[in-house]
Amino acid sequence: MQLFVDGIFLGSIYALFAIGFTLVFGILDRLNLAHAAVFSAGALVGIEVVTRWGLSIWLAIPIVFALGALLGVLIERIAFRPLAGRHDAHFAGLISSIAFGAIILSVLQALYGADTRRFPADAFPSTRLEFLGATFSLLQLMILVISVGLMVVLTWVVAKSKLGRGMRTIAENPHAAAVLGLNVGRISSMTFAISSALGAVAGVLFTLNVNAANLGIGHAVELKALAVIILGGLGSLPGALIGGLILGLAEVYAVNTVGSSWRDMVAFGLLFLVLIIRPQGIFGARKVREV
Amino acid sequence: MSEPILSVEGLNVSYGRVDAVRDVSFAVEPGALVALIGANGAGKTSILNAIAGLVRPKSGAVRFNGRDITRKPAHQLVRAGLVQVPEGREILGTLTVDENLSLGGWHRSRTMAGSIAEVYERFPILNERRKLPAGALSGGEQQMLAIARALVAKPEVLLLDEPSMGLAPKIVDEVFAVIAEIRDAGTTVVLVEQNARRALAAADVGYVLETGEITHSGPAGDLLADERVIEAYLGLS
Repeated sequence: MQLFVDGIFLGSIYALFAIGFTLVFGILDRLNLAHAAVFSAGALVGIEVVTRWGLSIWLAIPIVFALGALLGVLIERIAFRPLAGRHDAHFAGLISSIAFGAIILSVLQALYGADTRRFPADAFPSTRLEFLGATFSLLQLMILVISVGLMVVLTWVVAKSKLGRGMRTIAENPHAAAVLGLNVGRISSMTFAISSALGAVAGVLFTLNVNAANLGIGHAVELKALAVIILGGLGSLPGALIGGLILGLAEVYAVNTVGSSWRDMVAFGLLFLVLIIRPQGIFGARKVREV
Repeated sequence: MSEPILSVEGLNVSYGRVDAVRDVSFAVEPGALVALIGANGAGKTSILNAIAGLVRPKSGAVRFNGRDITRKPAHQLVRAGLVQVPEGREILGTLTVDENLSLGGWHRSRTMAGSIAEVYERFPILNERRKLPAGALSGGEQQMLAIARALVAKPEVLLLDEPSMGLAPKIVDEVFAVIAEIRDAGTTVVLVEQNARRALAAADVGYVLETGEITHSGPAGDLLADERVIEAYLGLS
């Protein structure tokens, strides 16, 4: 039971990161490889806000959310929009987003250095809770509530709101969306903003969970998130959620049964298996868009 | 002559080194039905797309209600009353008929319900199918849906790109009847068609395009009777 609970906590963070990743892919058909740098930025800025400004972690989360949204808008404007008309826009965007991610990481390094940073020890609520024989901290519960809450809100936005209707229209047919008078540029910006806000919050929650962050944490998670969204089905929001939880659980069980050095082996082994058995992923029904 | 509602002056459109539209000028009177005809690749769609803000012209100007709208983005033009029914219909197959129509009213959500009700009155077949995914409709129904969706946006000028494409002759009759109704209701229509004879029969004014240039123009009836036009464009159809 303890393993299950720990796996869910870890998995919910993977899911939150992956859902932002897959959102941009599902709606705009772009893979944003600066997402990992946004995760690192969320983590390091979250620590900064708590240690230097002395704010509570409760306040740090909305600040990181806003920072992520801003980074998302910048990524869309600088790394993707100028390339939008090109025939190789997919590949060009992939490369320019890697470049933009590297710039974010350089700025972070200039600001905070390359060392591992931590939250001050007294920053967390220390209450421990017990549930069906598993113990966990109030902090972990909070991580779960925030990540699940954000995913629920996002699902509602995509399914029910006007913005979501615009997103789904663009996902199905960007040209028709423009003909119908949708402001495709603005909706793309909003999609990136939401995606990156979730990625940044995932960064700070991940850091709260392990209480350590450095520049590189984003990249480790990025590869796993790729595994997660392929596991769940590219572009599928529920797929990213389920995929994240599966990966979290698998890692925790693997560490416990065969040792921590096998953790990444499990993540990518799962990816490999899914690609062989069900190449479209668990929820993958997405048809290839005609160009 | 009254002030034109839409005018195109010296329009040039190119894709890379290929000139698709060369120095095209014409003016559209309010309430008129204007047909642009010509073979595939003559530049008809490029002209419509340049008017609708979907393609950036290399040079030239487009005026709508006296205002220069050259290079304005499409979403501003739809809001202003210049609405396109694109080639190939571009309906959203996985969304329902209802959802497709509500996308037509994207920028006027508050007053949209009324216009959707009007559109359903005019197209009862769409009302019957309102909860179905649009992809399940027949080709003719999809074309009606594309036109209906544009009408929800309350256009002053409706740009129609190849509305008869891929449809059976009987359905083409229905589509042209709807186009005539729209014009009779006071909406200005710019119609692009390969089916030149049908388009000229419906239109007030016609322009014949060949490799990006206007070669003939005049009242549609005169063009239909013009031997050079018949020979070049109507002979076989």
